[in-house]
Amino acid sequence: MIGSGWLARRLAGAVVVWLLVSFLAFSLGTLAPGDPAHIMLLRRTGDQPSEVEVQQLRHQLGLDRPFVVRYAGWLSAATRGDFGESYRTGQPVFSELRTRFPATLALALVALAVGLIIAVPLAVVSAAARDSLLDHGARLVALVGVSMPSYWLAYMLMLLFAVQLGLLPVSGAGGVRHLVLPALTLGLGSAASVTRMLRATLLDELGEDYVRTARAKGLSALLVLTRHALRNALNPVVTVSALRFGRLLGEAVIVETVFAWPGIGRWMVESIYDRDYPAIQGFVLYIATVFVVLNVAVDLSYRALDPRVRLDSPVARRR
Amino acid sequence: MRLALIPLLLELVLTGCGSSRDAAAADRRALVVAFGADEFPLTTNRERLGRYPLNAGICEPLVRLTRDFMVAPALAVRWERHEPGAVRFILQSGVTFSNGAPVDARAVAYTLAQVARTRTDFSFLADSSVRVVDDTTLDVRPARMNRRLVEQLVHQIYDILAPGSDPARQPVCTGPFRLIDYVAHNRLVVIRNDRYRGERAKLDTIIFRFIPDETTRTLALRSGEVDVIFDVGRANASALERVPDLRVVTALPGAVMVMYMNLNGAAPYNQLRDSSLRRAVAMAIDRTTLVQKVLGGASAALVATINPPSVLGAYASLVQGVPYDPQAATRALQGRRRSLTLIANPSSIDRATVEYVQAQLAQVGIDVAVEQLDAAAFESRLNSGAFDLDLELPSQNDANPAFLLALRWYSRSSTRSVAFTHASPRFDALVERALAATTDEDARRAAAEAMHQLVDVEVGAVPLAGVSRVYAMNQRVRGFVPHPSRLNQDWSSVWVAR
Repeated sequence: MIGSGWLARRLAGAVVVWLLVSFLAFSLGTLAPGDPAHIMLLRRTGDQPSEVEVQQLRHQLGLDRPFVVRYAGWLSAATRGDFGESYRTGQPVFSELRTRFPATLALALVALAVGLIIAVPLAVVSAAARDSLLDHGARLVALVGVSMPSYWLAYMLMLLFAVQLGLLPVSGAGGVRHLVLPALTLGLGSAASVTRMLRATLLDELGEDYVRTARAKGLSALLVLTRHALRNALNPVVTVSALRFGRLLGEAVIVETVFAWPGIGRWMVESIYDRDYPAIQGFVLYIATVFVVLNVAVDLSYRALDPRVRLDSPVARRR
Repeated sequence: MRLALIPLLLELVLTGCGSSRDAAAADRRALVVAFGADEFPLTTNRERLGRYPLNAGICEPLVRLTRDFMVAPALAVRWERHEPGAVRFILQSGVTFSNGAPVDARAVAYTLAQVARTRTDFSFLADSSVRVVDDTTLDVRPARMNRRLVEQLVHQIYDILAPGSDPARQPVCTGPFRLIDYVAHNRLVVIRNDRYRGERAKLDTIIFRFIPDETTRTLALRSGEVDVIFDVGRANASALERVPDLRVVTALPGAVMVMYMNLNGAAPYNQLRDSSLRRAVAMAIDRTTLVQKVLGGASAALVATINPPSVLGAYASLVQGVPYDPQAATRALQGRRRSLTLIANPSSIDRATVEYVQAQLAQVGIDVAVEQLDAAAFESRLNSGAFDLDLELPSQNDANPAFLLALRWYSRSSTRSVAFTHASPRFDALVERALAATTDEDARRAAAEAMHQLVDVEVGAVPLAGVSRVYAMNQRVRGFVPHPSRLNQDWSSVWVAR
């Protein structure tokens, strides 16, 4: 069972991290140059607002109140899903996030799955046939995958699957077919780094005593590798995958732009270019929330993957 | 057994994937057009769905802009100056909106009042500007004297909408097409309006797809997924010209790349108050090489004017431009090296152009610090006067010859940056004359004289090159006639050969 003390500490830590991020996100909007009321009126009409109009809107938005009062009000609203109104679109930020995040989440999850589907067999083959031609080939593929810029890979995949073969659409959203190329673009980069890491971990595991014992008992090399060594090597894969998931959200910015995928990444970049502070603050807090939840989930998953892990011990031990 | 299933599964997957070529070819009376990013959700454009910045042919204004920047009848068959400050428009009778409602003077009054409320027009329209005389006659009197009103009304923000229709979701208008579907950041679909007052559109459907990345648009065209693409860059244009089934179409110049100067800045951005330095800057840049080598020739032209020369008609020749003379530029600096700061609009000026200008100025002894800015930072620097030189590419989308002059250099302009770019009282007087001219001819002449004052006499701005819109399309697309103003592109004559 999971220790209740550990869980309480972990959740308390998560809340502290979340509050810290919320404070930084809010400060960003306050410290950044430009008067939000002025920017909002300018975006609304395309015309320079008068000083009276700016002051009226500042009062209406509560921008003339002290920083701490505004932060408390913003945080309280944020916990209810109210991140304010986007300067660019005039729409509630939460509604924009809610509309767009599923597309990015779907892209990142499929890319992660694609990455694992490619990486795990490749790493297993590579570790099983260490220093063979197959191993060198797999490592070369992984190296190329890690080094390849995602926009270049995207164009190459478009050229092959859309222009040359005519099998898949170049861009847009509308079904599973549209998801294939962007997910492959993100997934291949992810596969490369997971392959390299998993291969190294598997090789470590294969040198352990329990592997030697299993072999001495007469188990086949395949069984030893897949049922014993691989399972023990998966814990770091879970950690790396969770971190990769964060990176995938970041890389999605480029991939979403190239493939015209209607996700959160492109929206975020445009918001940054336009100094749309409510959108930026909302995005940061939204993503921070996803990360905090994801990290707690990953910690909990260690226990499910390896029953020997004691999460309430000072140092979680693997065996 | 399991192995035997693999080819079957593969076939199922491939069948499921289908072929995007087949999909695009399914209905040849439909056209798929790839536009850039979708800007309709932006606050400023939300009430302009299908009209601005993408004109999908849903709506029409009272008057339209011809390819040589003249005004021609559209919903209004004629117009005349009625009383001081007012224009009387006579509407074409018997015209209906796509929903069957009649187009009358009250509908026009409704639309223009809506525009006045958005505060985004420069025509000084107010709620009470329109007086309905009868069903087909109305007088329009802006709140301030504005004799360029008719030339401004060609712009899509003045398109006439059916009273009560929702301009943000379902605009109902009189254009050759009507809107049937819009998915933000994905597509906008129009079908032929069978109630159109003129010749019916040849296409049944146009699907405008939003593809922000230029290379992706190019690949979508090459794959057959789309038929036409907007805004093709130099590199992609020359690559597409070599593809047998495709063609590249270039419009006449509809924009001029202009180097603005900070004429009234505070230190350290006050060096260009010195007219000899301004002239040295203008003389240092070889615009012919810029057009032919840097901008790629076909989509750029040598111009001396601030807006496309055809806007000024025969009077364009009054503006000469400062000739390229690097020796004279060096002499004008009297051996002193100067340092200036250059900013450039990131959405329209590319790095190669900036570097070319920088290199040209360095050759005569002017060191230019180039600042890489995003859109918001650029706007902030421009409005705060923190620059010496500013490169931009403003487009001409109406028939007013004094539009850009009045917006960017006229001291009474509402534009914030005019505090730093406004020219002399003599220039202001010429602009006012152009704005007050009662005939098109007089307006063009006065605007040309103002431009001559700005470009040749005061050297307050340097026109660098005329720039054209470039489209690419497959060879089956016929009847496409490019308009220099992208906003006025007509799709009703376009069809797709089988």
